Amino acid sequence: MAPVLPVVLPLQPRIRLAQGLWLLSWLLALVGGLTLFCSGHLLVQLRHLGTFLAPSCPFATLPQVALAASAVALGTGLVGSGASRASLDAAQYPPWRGVLGPLLVAGTAGGGGLLVLALGLALVLPGTLDTGLEEGLGTALAHYKDTEVPGRCQAKRLLDELQIKHQCCGRHGYKDWFGIQWVSSRYLDPNDQDVVDRIQSNVEGLYLIDGVPFSCCNPHSPRPCLQSQLSDPHAHPLYDPRQPNLNLWAQGCHGVLLGYLQGLASTLGNLLAVTFLLQALVLLGLRYLQTALEGLGGVIDGEGEAQGYLFPGGLKDMLKTVWLQGGVAHRPAPEEAPPEEAPPKEGPSEV
Amino acid sequence: MALLKIKFDQKKRVKLAQGLWLMNWLSVLAGIIIFGLGLFLKIELRKRSDVMDNSESHFVPNSLIGMGVLSCVFNSLAGKICYDALDPAKYAKWKPWLKSYLAVCVLFNIALFLVALCCFLLRGSLESTLAHGLKNGMKFYRDTDTPGRCFMKKTIDMLQIEFKCCGNNGFRDWFEIQWISNRYLDFSSKEVKDRVKSNVDGRYLLDGVPFSCCNPNSPRPCIQYQLTNNSAHYSYDHQTEELNLWVRGCRAALLSYYSNLMNSMGAVVLLVWLFEVTITIGLRYLHTALEGVSNPEDPECVSEGWLLEKSVPETWKAFLESVKKLGKGNQVEAEGAEAGQSPEAG
Repeated sequence: MAPVLPVVLPLQPRIRLAQGLWLLSWLLALVGGLTLFCSGHLLVQLRHLGTFLAPSCPFATLPQVALAASAVALGTGLVGSGASRASLDAAQYPPWRGVLGPLLVAGTAGGGGLLVLALGLALVLPGTLDTGLEEGLGTALAHYKDTEVPGRCQAKRLLDELQIKHQCCGRHGYKDWFGIQWVSSRYLDPNDQDVVDRIQSNVEGLYLIDGVPFSCCNPHSPRPCLQSQLSDPHAHPLYDPRQPNLNLWAQGCHGVLLGYLQGLASTLGNLLAVTFLLQALVLLGLRYLQTALEGLGGVIDGEGEAQGYLFPGGLKDMLKTVWLQGGVAHRPAPEEAPPEEAPPKEGPSEV
Repeated sequence: MALLKIKFDQKKRVKLAQGLWLMNWLSVLAGIIIFGLGLFLKIELRKRSDVMDNSESHFVPNSLIGMGVLSCVFNSLAGKICYDALDPAKYAKWKPWLKSYLAVCVLFNIALFLVALCCFLLRGSLESTLAHGLKNGMKFYRDTDTPGRCFMKKTIDMLQIEFKCCGNNGFRDWFEIQWISNRYLDFSSKEVKDRVKSNVDGRYLLDGVPFSCCNPNSPRPCIQYQLTNNSAHYSYDHQTEELNLWVRGCRAALLSYYSNLMNSMGAVVLLVWLFEVTITIGLRYLHTALEGVSNPEDPECVSEGWLLEKSVPETWKAFLESVKKLGKGNQVEAEGAEAGQSPEAG
């Protein structure tokens, strides 16, 4: 049974490996912490923008999975730094001997699995944002006037604050406001002829006007904001349509929010990729260090040349032993069992 | 009789020196924090200097920055002294400077306390600067064509949106100034002509406010114009309507913002001051304990540390005497010179 990918590790390279591993582990801890912070930030932003995303949109699972994955990466980094530090000191290493094996398995299976899942979600989910935002923003616009309806009374305030903060107006432009009734019927005078005319002019009996709410106003405009009678060129004196229109926000909220959330998701995806790389390196290094030190019988500064390897036997032999062990009823497992049981999970995720 | 005498044996002296060394380095960190706080306050004041007529006083942030730097310098020096205090050879070179250094430390502590007080007390000058600056800012709101003032509209709009306020003391301040530029007024319209003729200065005044005064929490779309005319809007009573516009004035909003900032900074500086006083007292004890080591060959001996060699009134008398002696010394020399001259002349 030949060990898989053996590397001879005399004393000096072992020390170098431990030192390099210590640095890499702290780097992994740092990047893990950064990813944790980034996914937390995305989660908070999604909480604020929750009303503008359709409830069926699965985008919210990305920051949650990324949070878990980065927490495990942070833990792996801290464990790795502790273990590599201990491997340089003969007095500190013995307590780590028993713990390192199961920790490596947990780190590879749990951490690796979560990271791969998070990376996959980061690639797939931003595509679902488009439809989610379309539906969510449409609902929010339709409920702008429902300030008296319980459960919807916050829509006006949230939409106003969104348009002011993200500097956008309507879904794809300010004309979206012309197609919905955004003035509550409670504040419409039923005796006013203009109101009656407008309500009777369309099939659904909506009070539609060519005006927009105040939150669409652009403070950069040199003239006081024009909110009403926007389709009538003669309604406002000295209005020059040839000048660049600074009066209202030009962008639609759909485009702005899509860009914003996709930007956050891509940053998170990049950080997750870097974390994945670092975690794979740290786990590999720890495995080699562990097997080399096991070869010496746990004696740290032994001058002997130990061999570090990934798995003690070839893949086929290991699968055979595992199958045999599983087939025969509950024999007491030999020492090699824990690393051998791991391979079916370790193999695919190690790549 | 010495003030607050404490006996120090070798171990206690070493512990004192080590503890002081650690405290000094923590104090350097605190100095960096104060420096950062001063810088932050300076940037915040600069950001809004447009609405303060560019005449706001930068005394508080400048003094915080200065105190932070001084604290770093003094405390790192003190840390070095404490580190060397354990080695008699290295300590010997610091010995002559230590008394004057302690005097400088006391002065620094007094200055730090005064700066902390200033953080709490300089609110009044900020209030008058803000009132004056906002009044001018609102006057220039319509001058979007005048170079040098074209940004004032944007600044005031963003200020009212961010701080959730309207006008100087309230939204009625907008009724008293012309905030729509003449360029966008149609002077052929009768309404405009009436309004312009209705007041002495020929200004276009109206009972309306800019859009940035609108409160998004209002259940109805924002009413900006004809605010005092109840019949112009359906189901509207301007006396009882509270949610339509922001009620707070921007002067009060900005003042409360800066007051909170300066109060919390003042609290932090007071804490650091207490820490610094503790360090100075510890340094004085270390100084006197090391001075009191009577036999330099026997480092294990017990020495005494105190704050002042004699009690407070005696020290004050001795200080006055030394000042008088300085004056008398000059007098004696002058008399001696005269006496020397007169026998020669006579």
